Amino acid sequence: MAAAACGGEAAAATRALCAFSPRDRRFFAISGSDGRLRVWETANSRLQHEYVPSAHLSAACTCLAWAPPGGRPPPSKDGPQRKKRKSEVAEVDKQLDVLAIGTAVGSILLYSTVKGELQSKLDGGHDNRVNCVRWHQDNCCLYSCSEDKHIVEWNTQTCKVKCKWKGDNSSVTSLCISPDGKMLLSAGRTIKLWDLETKEVYRHFTGHATSVSSLMFTTVKPMNENKSFDGITGLYFLSGAIHDRLLSVWQIRSDRKEKNAVMSFTVTDEPTFIDLTVSEVKEEPVKLAVVCRDGQLHLFEHILNGYCKKPLTSNCTIQIATPGNDGDSTPKPVPILAAAFCTDKQSLLLVYGNTLQPIIEKVSLNTAESHVCLIRDIQKVLSLKTDVALTKVKTPVVNLDTKVLVPGIPGHSTAVKTPSSGKEKKKNKRKPGETEESIEQRLEALDIDVSKVKTPGGLPQTDSFAVLLVQGLESNDAEILNRVLNTRKENVIKNTVARMPIHAVIPLLHELTKRLQGNPYSASLMVRWLKSVFTLHASYLSTLPDLIPQLGMLYQLMESRVKTLHKLSRLHGRLFILVTQVAASETVQDVTEVNQTAKLVYEDESSEEEGSDDEMIADKDSDENWDEDEEKEEQSDEQDMTVEKEINGDSDLEPENESEEE
Amino acid sequence: MVAPATLRVVRCGGSTLHGARAVFSADSKYLLCAAGDFVKMYSVATEETLRVMGGHADLVTGVQLNPHNHMQLYSSSLDGSIKLWDFMDGIPIKTFTVGSKLLALYALASSEDSVFVVIPKSGERDTFQLVSVKLTKAAGQDLEAKELSVVLDGVDASPKHIAFGREGEYVASVKEVNLQVFFFKRKQLNRFSVSAIKTKSGNNHFTCIACHPTEDCIATGHADGKIRLWRNFYHKKDYTFSTLHWHHDTVMDLAFSMEGTSLLSGGVESVLVLWHNESDCQKDFLPRLGSAIEYISMSSDGALCCTLHTDNRITIINSNLRFSKSIQGLIKSTDVKTGLVVDPRTKALVLNGEPGHLQFYCLQSDQQLFSLDIVQRQYIHQAGLNQADLVKVAFSAQGKWLATVEEREEVTDPELQLKLWFYDEETQSFKLNTRINMPHEDHITDMCFREMDELEDDSLILVTAGRDCVFKVWVMVEDTDPEAQQSVSWSCDFVGSYHNYQATNCCFSEDGSLLAVSFEETVTVWDSVTWDLKCTFCHPPGKIRNICFGRLTCSKYLIGATDYGFLCCWNLLSCALEWSAHLNVLVLQPDPLSEHIAAVSWLSKESSLFVFKPNEPRPIYIQRNLCKEKIQLAAFVPRDEPETIGSEKYHWLRRSQLFFLTDTQELMTLSAKSLEERLTPSSKQLAVEESLPVTPFSLLLGKHRRQQSQEDIDLGKLVHNKHKQDSPAVKELLHTPAHVLPSASFLCPIFINSLLISKENKSTEEVADEVEMESEKTEDDSDEERGVTEMEQEDTSPMELLGEMTCKLSKSQEKELRKIRKMDYSWISAF
Repeated sequence: MAAAACGGEAAAATRALCAFSPRDRRFFAISGSDGRLRVWETANSRLQHEYVPSAHLSAACTCLAWAPPGGRPPPSKDGPQRKKRKSEVAEVDKQLDVLAIGTAVGSILLYSTVKGELQSKLDGGHDNRVNCVRWHQDNCCLYSCSEDKHIVEWNTQTCKVKCKWKGDNSSVTSLCISPDGKMLLSAGRTIKLWDLETKEVYRHFTGHATSVSSLMFTTVKPMNENKSFDGITGLYFLSGAIHDRLLSVWQIRSDRKEKNAVMSFTVTDEPTFIDLTVSEVKEEPVKLAVVCRDGQLHLFEHILNGYCKKPLTSNCTIQIATPGNDGDSTPKPVPILAAAFCTDKQSLLLVYGNTLQPIIEKVSLNTAESHVCLIRDIQKVLSLKTDVALTKVKTPVVNLDTKVLVPGIPGHSTAVKTPSSGKEKKKNKRKPGETEESIEQRLEALDIDVSKVKTPGGLPQTDSFAVLLVQGLESNDAEILNRVLNTRKENVIKNTVARMPIHAVIPLLHELTKRLQGNPYSASLMVRWLKSVFTLHASYLSTLPDLIPQLGMLYQLMESRVKTLHKLSRLHGRLFILVTQVAASETVQDVTEVNQTAKLVYEDESSEEEGSDDEMIADKDSDENWDEDEEKEEQSDEQDMTVEKEINGDSDLEPENESEEE
Repeated sequence: MVAPATLRVVRCGGSTLHGARAVFSADSKYLLCAAGDFVKMYSVATEETLRVMGGHADLVTGVQLNPHNHMQLYSSSLDGSIKLWDFMDGIPIKTFTVGSKLLALYALASSEDSVFVVIPKSGERDTFQLVSVKLTKAAGQDLEAKELSVVLDGVDASPKHIAFGREGEYVASVKEVNLQVFFFKRKQLNRFSVSAIKTKSGNNHFTCIACHPTEDCIATGHADGKIRLWRNFYHKKDYTFSTLHWHHDTVMDLAFSMEGTSLLSGGVESVLVLWHNESDCQKDFLPRLGSAIEYISMSSDGALCCTLHTDNRITIINSNLRFSKSIQGLIKSTDVKTGLVVDPRTKALVLNGEPGHLQFYCLQSDQQLFSLDIVQRQYIHQAGLNQADLVKVAFSAQGKWLATVEEREEVTDPELQLKLWFYDEETQSFKLNTRINMPHEDHITDMCFREMDELEDDSLILVTAGRDCVFKVWVMVEDTDPEAQQSVSWSCDFVGSYHNYQATNCCFSEDGSLLAVSFEETVTVWDSVTWDLKCTFCHPPGKIRNICFGRLTCSKYLIGATDYGFLCCWNLLSCALEWSAHLNVLVLQPDPLSEHIAAVSWLSKESSLFVFKPNEPRPIYIQRNLCKEKIQLAAFVPRDEPETIGSEKYHWLRRSQLFFLTDTQELMTLSAKSLEERLTPSSKQLAVEESLPVTPFSLLLGKHRRQQSQEDIDLGKLVHNKHKQDSPAVKELLHTPAHVLPSASFLCPIFINSLLISKENKSTEEVADEVEMESEKTEDDSDEERGVTEMEQEDTSPMELLGEMTCKLSKSQEKELRKIRKMDYSWISAF
């Protein structure tokens, strides 16, 4: 992991001009086609800052590399393993902030991302395009390779060339430093392993037909522990080349015989960004994330264990696409730009979108599925993000179609239920729709033969109202129901309810309940209907076996309404006593005046508390009446309810009822 | 690696940034401000913390650049010492011990070796004096500074109440309704006062003061929102003042621009007001700064100003009143009602932020990730206005659902709203799914999700406990309404109560099969499938303060803490009390990744931490005297990768890290690491020397800059002088409209020639002519003037360079130069 975390951190293919900051991946640096370098914060995908090199058009950025975190003490005797542990222990605070930028003209810029300014410029090493830059993980050396066939070792403290040697016969395209920091891999066409002390070639590896674009060590120590480890023998490394859909894995062996790749991974297109987790334990597989040119991400999990002839295919492929439901009907793919494993090795940071404004997201790994397509609406994400730049305030989406629950609406409180068998009831309860369906079914089952003949001509009479109502309830026609239910005449209502067939009572009650939940004005109309239904059909209702679930919603609704009414009536009572007392003591005085004030006070309070129109208050007396009416019915059921609720100690409904009756 | 001996309490964030006025470094690249006991250096360009300078033992009360060396910084602290820092390297140079508490610090260019501090007057309470402290030049790091001389008596403790005037000629101090000005040279003390008026909005006490940098003018802010500009204060009687009034409430701070042409003021309205030319009608505003402005400071070049806000934010603002950057620490809200919650998605700490917002605070970087506007109502700064605020927050196990409760205190009943947010991956933001008005009839005391990792979607349950004596169980249901766009919404599934006691806490067992709800003195355990009451526990006397289930191997235990000072552990299998301990537990926090439970107690004015496993009554770890403040909240934050901790004793810290929030809203953690491993990142940074290539241009600029920095003080004069030497040719070039100019090839030699003009060239006749021409010209507006002067500043340097280079010029070049010199300027006169 040391290699991946430090030197090989940004071991992206040289072409992908982006790199994650080492270890905690707090930042993501990307150089777009416009030559600007942008540093993004990965946690909230917010642009940290932007840097435009002075010669960003002529000397375009060709490669990026973050400096390793902290100047660490020289390697101890324990070897890289021990050291690595220590680095993990160290507080993940803020790492070294220097970013090395190779340019097309051969100079290398060291840019401080914390200060937001250019730190130094390394000149005079290369006279052609810099292909790859790598930091040494322990001392602050920088290695770069170039189109001019040379490899240069820089001292970043003095910004001078420490050593320069010819690396290949053609251009050198990629570099990687071994986990122990003593060897260097370089690649043009062929891969060479250099001893950094003597600058001599230690091994050759050949096999790529095109120039190698990425190199990376995948292990920090050999898997067979019994052998003594000299720092390099037995290690595996990975290489990818341009126009090559195979990633090769090589092993450095003590015998110089094996020169071919030990295994290979197939991907769908040329790899552009590679990240991997280094396995420490033998059983732990190496996890590899490869971003391809076609914007797909391939995940591999493999235990490196010697030779494997057949190319391995990916365990999981991740693609991103737009939803494409509104406007443009076809979903469009969104290219993935880079990916990196988080420190817990369980989740992955994905960078996608365009290079100018990438979106960075953390997804948890699920390799069980072989193909994952994430749907992301990048337009919306970007529009949500625009404000973030300055204030960091995010506004979550609030749509109009949000479900709103207010007291009295089903779902706000638990449904009143019959004490029936547990399991079945639970299912019913979870889906409130089913009860509604059952009513419809019941209605159908009832098989009413209502005379479909309308009374011809003229205004509907009371008797026709009953027929209309039944028709409306049966067909669920809102127009008919409105016509009938919006009647204000007490007499008409009473007659209608009296004449309606008995089987329509329950559907009418449901309809009334639904309308009661609406605005308070319609509720005040419905109350009259309810009242006459309860007075005229009480005997029928009391015979129903499933009365509690049928009327539970209505009961809750009334309860929540009455709760505010209760305070109101208390206030009314007190005011009334006060007023009568005053009136009694001062009988001589004008009574009408007193009455007036009383009315005024009363109306004021009620409009505040109830929030409804005056009509409601005018009906208050009747409200109380039907309360009592309902109570009569409910009382019979109360016993059942208390039985069911015995676990609660006592029924919470009871005290309410008593207080209402005061 | 040697196993560290002890756990250390480390402050990891949330220290107040508004302890003192922040200062910009001389080049305006860095911002230095006091942050609790530290001095922090921020990069203006990137908002990053560059240095944390620690060393003071108490709050830092003043930060000032050394006027004689702009790479050095003075800081004063309540611990009675003044420290001199090299802030570029973060090294303390010297420490001067004064002795008494230092409440404010002022450093002046005119006073050679002394600084001014405000100290409490010995012997008297609540009276303070301004003294000058002589800083001895003696060698050594720790020095005593005992030479104190009193300048002003009876000053106020606030650093905003004293200001030094033009070039340190006088000092002005305000207290209540009195203003006193002391002239150093004449040793004269003038006192003025405004008549105390008490109106409905407040009194007219002085709240802050600022002095004009070049004129004799003092600006004072008042508690009633007025700003007064005092002049002529040499005379005790003939002084004058004018009034500017925009603020409706207290003016919190004032600052003059560097030239003194404009005045900045800020107050609780969170609006920055820029007053031009000290007139009441010309003003600009920068509104919606988020929270009340505590301090305003300007950079020395006038390009930037920064405001420090009461909610721990620094806003850096351009000179044209536009937001540039904002540095946000842990927002201090008045009361953290939501508790410390960890967002499973971002691993950030979530708590109350600005009113109505949730802040997501990144522990690694000590910066706010973002803040989520939950209430979505405009916040109005006004005293006595009840605002809706968040009181409870809960995340589901994967961070897919977020439940928030907001509350608005009403006269009779609180107005409550429970909102359930769904994290929409498509748009990468939270989306409101269900809004429930008045979920309970009284305050909600606790809320929790059933955490089921595997089957999150269908088994997700939310429980809310309320003071209305019930707890409610909310479940997701599929919407059958065809009109609804959402497929799922939340609805109530069960309402439970117990003997009409108030429900105070609720929590689910690890496997989600049991729900424990505490009702005052009793803990009830419910089956989460059938919602049957399984058993009850109680440990009288005392109400239950906290409950939690044990985890992993200890899942058969239920832990509860009572406010009577008992910690109890019940066995759920035998339904009996396993053990109890006498401990006044304030906070009980289980680690989600191990069986450890942390309990923080409050005993005899100190907080102690006990870490234990429920299966044994003996604690694993005890840390007495964790801190002096009361610890309000604690949270275990899972580590990304398990830490290796040498000592067996600290194994409980392996998987997660424990954070506390104290009464004073300092965020602390426990660290097993030795000090050097936690050293400030700055000291570990790779020392990459700045070595930019020396291009000829940068060489010229660099030389010039060095020169300029010395002349910085009398920049004004410099500008004037330069203006006089202005080259007419260049001026002509700049002022002539482009369409009437001759071709560029024709102008080029003239331009180059004008750059070459040196002293001897001036003496020639041609130039003399042009000087006359120039004098005829009227003065242009300052903007253009600046452009010209800059031009000029650059052209002075080639002269120096040419001085060295002329000798190297070849003969042919010289010839050419001469040719240029003889060039005809007649076209100019045509205009």
